[in-house]
Amino acid sequence: MNGAQDLSFFSMVMCGILLLVPLLGIWYFKLGITKELLISTLRMIVQLVLVGFFLEFVFRLNNWLLNSVWFMTMITVAVFSVIKNSDLKVRHFFCPVLLSFILANFFVVLYFNYFIVNLDFILDAKYMIAIGGMILGNSLRANIVGLGDFYKSIRKDEQLYFYKLSLGATRFEALRDFAKRSFVSAMNPTIASMATMGIVSLPGMMTGQILGGSVPLVAIKYQIAIMIAILASTVLSISFSILFTVRYSFYKNGTLKKEIFRAPNP
Amino acid sequence: MFRIEHITKQFSDQFVLQDFSFEIQAGEKIIVSGRSGIGKTTLFRLLLGFEQPDSGKIYFENQLLTEDSVWELRRRVAYVSQDLNIGRGNLHSFFNDTLSLKANIEYKNSSLNELDDLMNSFELADTLLQKNLEELSGGEKQRVAIINALLLKRNIFFLDEITSALDKSLKSKVLDYFLLNPDFTVLSISHDNYLPASAITRTLKLD
Repeated sequence: MNGAQDLSFFSMVMCGILLLVPLLGIWYFKLGITKELLISTLRMIVQLVLVGFFLEFVFRLNNWLLNSVWFMTMITVAVFSVIKNSDLKVRHFFCPVLLSFILANFFVVLYFNYFIVNLDFILDAKYMIAIGGMILGNSLRANIVGLGDFYKSIRKDEQLYFYKLSLGATRFEALRDFAKRSFVSAMNPTIASMATMGIVSLPGMMTGQILGGSVPLVAIKYQIAIMIAILASTVLSISFSILFTVRYSFYKNGTLKKEIFRAPNP
Repeated sequence: MFRIEHITKQFSDQFVLQDFSFEIQAGEKIIVSGRSGIGKTTLFRLLLGFEQPDSGKIYFENQLLTEDSVWELRRRVAYVSQDLNIGRGNLHSFFNDTLSLKANIEYKNSSLNELDDLMNSFELADTLLQKNLEELSGGEKQRVAIINALLLKRNIFFLDEITSALDKSLKSKVLDYFLLNPDFTVLSISHDNYLPASAITRTLKLD
């Protein structure tokens, strides 16, 4: 493999000039988010530089323990992000969601590395962290929709939920439709993007591989595998998250605890 | 059947029920009245365990109602809410889903056989069964909720303004159905003046 062409200092300056486009847009339309954009850009640069140096080190050492610890760190950050963006309280949800993410993502990544890529060393940094990152990133987005919507919809449609309980439904039976709808809305974006993949967009995995020197035919095989892995981890992580959090989120009489939400009112 | 002892329920700083006691015998027909916001619906929600009283106790068949025992009560009482958000999708599947719940499955076949008769009794056309709940009018939905409650084959009914969207003749038909059946124990919130002449009812006025 040749690897992608390195970007020079001049390239990065040119990149900075391209940033003027969104900045000018914000100024012209008076969007008032200049500060947020600059802070986010700065954070992105600092984080990526640090991660860049760190990953160089991790890839060179390629130690199973360090790789696993780093993947765990990625999972932990993802879990914080899921809970915060779902408007749920970290205190109530951290442990169960963390456990769900560990189970779902480790399972899918190790399955991918062992059965699909046939690696001898299934905790290899390049595969575990890169593939794991892609799977995790998509699980994260799907769980914000899946887990967040699940609880929000129960709060919003509480009358309907009570109605089901009054018909004699168990908590599980009463929650089934809410869970179903959350799954559908969480999986829809992935399913929709699969349907247009290759024509509308060349996904990140393929772009990376092609720039990295792989031939397109190898790249598409990886892309197909990764999309299926993403769907698998999405379904697993949302199922586990809902399953593990439900027992902490309801009172014994079946009513939803309002204190699990960050905002007191919907 | 029900014994409510010294219940107090407060929302933020407003008392909805204060030191409220009441008893309901099997077969009684209780008409709950009182101005809106007085706590009629809250009373139902307390009985069904969707709200917890701040103090006081509720007994159902001499058993204290707790967070655990309320599940049994929910399998014994048929509740028709005033809120018509009762579900989505095809009407036949809606009835079928209700009867597929573990608590109701033993009546599934017999109840589904009675469905057509019940639809007729409450003046709903069979063709509605193929429609979606979202397409039904308020009055139709109200009758669907009533039929759904009757399919459960229970004989204790909590009825929360179940005739508000019905015309006069349907109103009397529905109320006759519940208030004249000697086997039914009924707790009914209603703003209607109509009562079947031969019905023996007791009024619970909240104020």
